[in-house]
Parts: sequence; structure tokens; C-alpha cells
Amino acid sequence: MRHVGVKSTRDTRESENQQSVSLESPKADEFGRAVSRIAVAQICESLGYQGFKESALDALTDILIWYLCDIGKNASFHANLAGRTECNIFDITRALEELGASHGIPGASKIGNCLLGSGTVREIIQFVDSKEETPFAQPVPKFPIVRDRKLIPSFEHMNENPPGKHIPAWLPAFPDPHTYIHTPMWNERSSEPRADKIEQAKQRRKAERALLRLQQRLVCNVSSGTSASLVTNAEKEKLQEVANNSFLAAPLKPVEKEVSQLVLPAKHSDEASKNNHVSVLEAFAPAIEAMKGGTSNESDGEKMLLPEKRAAVHFKFRTGKKILGAPLDLCLQKKGERSAAAILRSEERDDKKRRAEFILRQTMEYPMELNQS
Amino acid sequence: MNHNPQSSDGKHDDDSALSDFLASLMDYTPTIPDELVEHYLSKSGFQSPDVRLIRLVAVATQKFVAEVASDALMHCKARQAAVVKDKRDKQQKDKRLILTMDDLSKSLREYGVNVKHQEYFADSPSTGIDPASREE
Repeated sequence: MRHVGVKSTRDTRESENQQSVSLESPKADEFGRAVSRIAVAQICESLGYQGFKESALDALTDILIWYLCDIGKNASFHANLAGRTECNIFDITRALEELGASHGIPGASKIGNCLLGSGTVREIIQFVDSKEETPFAQPVPKFPIVRDRKLIPSFEHMNENPPGKHIPAWLPAFPDPHTYIHTPMWNERSSEPRADKIEQAKQRRKAERALLRLQQRLVCNVSSGTSASLVTNAEKEKLQEVANNSFLAAPLKPVEKEVSQLVLPAKHSDEASKNNHVSVLEAFAPAIEAMKGGTSNESDGEKMLLPEKRAAVHFKFRTGKKILGAPLDLCLQKKGERSAAAILRSEERDDKKRRAEFILRQTMEYPMELNQS
Repeated sequence: MNHNPQSSDGKHDDDSALSDFLASLMDYTPTIPDELVEHYLSKSGFQSPDVRLIRLVAVATQKFVAEVASDALMHCKARQAAVVKDKRDKQQKDKRLILTMDDLSKSLREYGVNVKHQEYFADSPSTGIDPASREE
């Protein structure tokens, strides 16, 4: 707003070292001051000034505001003195005379003078006649803006009865009791660390079963190569489901065969815990074995790839992501079923498998804890 | 407005002059906007439903500020004339009339307002130089 309305250049603003009010915190009367500043600049410009020093402009703005307030105070004082609350022209004339007294006003020496013929007013009339009109540069809205304040509703509004007869109903209502009364809260669930761990283990086993089923399906698809599209959809679904939340994986039905053998992997790993066995990987071991080496397993086809007995397998815990993916590729190579679609599918599956492996790895940690505890 | 019984024609003239003036005020738009004047007057307790009075106050304030500024302008021009006498080459540069704190404080002194500006802040190499010869 500062640069609007003043046609003269404000080059001296840059030369002035003092910073403007932008560095200070906004005061309450910021808008009024800004408007007055522009008005002062316009007045000076009409006199012939071509530039202003910022500090001088600020000082003159202050002067203007003080003058306005002074006139108001004096005029209201005179009105009150006469027993009125509203000011009229005579109050203003007296106020102007008082303010101009130090400078000298024409006709001050005359006593018993009617205010209508006051020299001050005459001077003002002369001023208006001589001066050409320079209206303010921009339309100024009515200020200060009165905001509708939301008050606290009274007891009557809330249709509440005030507690206690000494409180009238038109007073603001009390806040809700929960905002100022603190009642102790008890945790209803009793927590047993042992029960929690057992629960956790159960849930993890469920996840393992689901993953194992998934893995089997993948292997089946690779080995058979038929109706792969249908299965991929299903397994993608499965992958998604598993990837999203292994704990939400559907529990396996008792019909599925592999369940019976994998019911208590913790037990098995306890027995064969010499090596770095992890129950999940153990479960997958036969499948991986089948993929890596044995054509004999492939002859089983879509059926159970898991032999009855488990083979002890050593695993390298590689940090790379292709723990399970690599064998599949090998399998593909062996089969010689390198169709473009299969490759694509396998690539897609690799990504999903990485996710599944991530989950696997996570579950691997906890069974280890279980074994140790 | 207070209509006293007029004893002489002079007063009657004044009265009519004033009422004419107030009527003419509505045509004349003072440089200080009405809203601003109203705001500060209401802050200090001035209450009036009459717009003409607001305009009167605005015009009176404008007159006052114009007087102060014109006094400062006279000081500025006087200083320029004095400088030009000494150095002719500065004539072109000092054609611009700039409102400075110096001139303003001199003119305000006559109105009873004491505005003292810091002579210098010792934070830059160009402190203490005569303001008239400082590069604007």
C-alpha cells in the first residue's frame, strides 16, 4: 500500500538506512498508520515535494494521527463540559482554537466573540477555497472491522439448569464435566507375557503356513506350466493378501495335506537345532531341493512336492533378495520352458516374492527367539 | 446547529457563510479519507452522526499538515539556495525537493512539537557527514 498513489519517486527510500516497520511485529493500528502515511505523502506531493525520507514521513504520519486524536479529545471534552455527549460545530471550533493557540489565530484578542465568526474557521474556509481537490488515492473500507464473536452459550441456550440456585440462567454454561474431572482408568485386559508369546507364536505359524502354501503353488506352476495364468491370478491374490498382512492370511483348512506335517514346526526345530535351522526355511527346504536338483520330485507333478521326511539342509543367509527367486529361474532353465509369457510372469513374481521373502525374514527372527526361550 | 438570536448582520453573515461552507464541504473531498478520521475520532471519544463535521475535521487536519510541510519546504528551498551560492555544480542534483528530518524538526519547532532526530548512528563509514552533501 505504500507505493500506491504517490506519483513522485521514492528513491530516497533505498538511500535511507533505517528499516521500515516490516521488521517489527505487527501493531494493532497498522492499517490506520499505513493509510495515514499515504494521505500525508499525497498532501506533501501536492505542495511540491518530490521525495521523502522515510523517517520524516513516519514522523509526519505520527503528527497527523496525534492531531486527529487531539481534536477528538478536545471536542468531546467541550461537549461533555456543556452537558452533551454528541459534539457539534462549536465544540470543534473551540478544539481547533485551542490547538492553534500556540501558533496564533486571527481574532484571538477579541473577547465575547461568537464562535461562528471564529478566525480559525475562516482560515479553513480560505484553505478549502484556495486548495484544489486531491482525493485519497484508494477507496478505504470501513475499519476497524467488527467480527462476530462466538460467545459461550448461556444456561438457557443449553437448556440446562444451573447447578445451584445462586447462579442465574443467563450466565454462560459450565463446560462438560469430562473436561475438568479426571477419573482413573483401569486397563481391563490383564497382560501375561507368556500368554502373549504363545499367542504371537500361533499367529506366526499361521503366517508360515500361508506362505508355504504360496510357495508350493509357485513351484507347482513352474513345474507344470499348465493353467499358469489362472494360478498366477490366484497366487497374486494370495501374495497380495500375504504381503498386506500375514496375520490376516486365511487359516488353512484341514483338507490340505501339508498342514499335518507342519503343525508344530517349533518342535521340529527344537529337535534338529544343531544348525541354523529356522522353521520356515526348513519347511521350504524340500521345495527348494526339488527345484534345485531332483527330477524325481518333478515326476510327482502337481501333487505333494514335500517328501514325508525332512532333509537337513544348510542355508546361506544371503542379504540379497533372490533367495527363493534364483532356484525358480534355474528350474525354468532346466525345464526349457522359456516362453516369453513365463519369463514375464516370473519377473513379476520375483517382485512379489521379494515382498514375501521380506515377511519370511521377519518371521524368521521371532521363531529364533522362540527357540532360544 | 445552535441558532442564537442574531443581533447584528455580521453574525448572520458568519452563520450563513458557515452553513454554506459546510454544504460545500460535501462536494470537496479531503485528502484524508473519512473512514480514517472517523476511526481516530471515535478512538478519542468524539461522537457525531454528522458527516459534515467529520469532513471539517479532516480538512482542518489537512490544513495543519500542509502548513507544516510547506514550512519544511521553505526551509529546504532556503538551504538549497544557500548551497547553490557556494557550489554551482550541485545545482542540477539538488533540484529534487526531499522532505528530510532536519527541515521537519525545524518547522515543527514553531508549532510546539519537539522532534529530535538522531544525528548519526555510528554503524556505517559514512556517519557524521553533512546531510546536504551526502549522496542521495
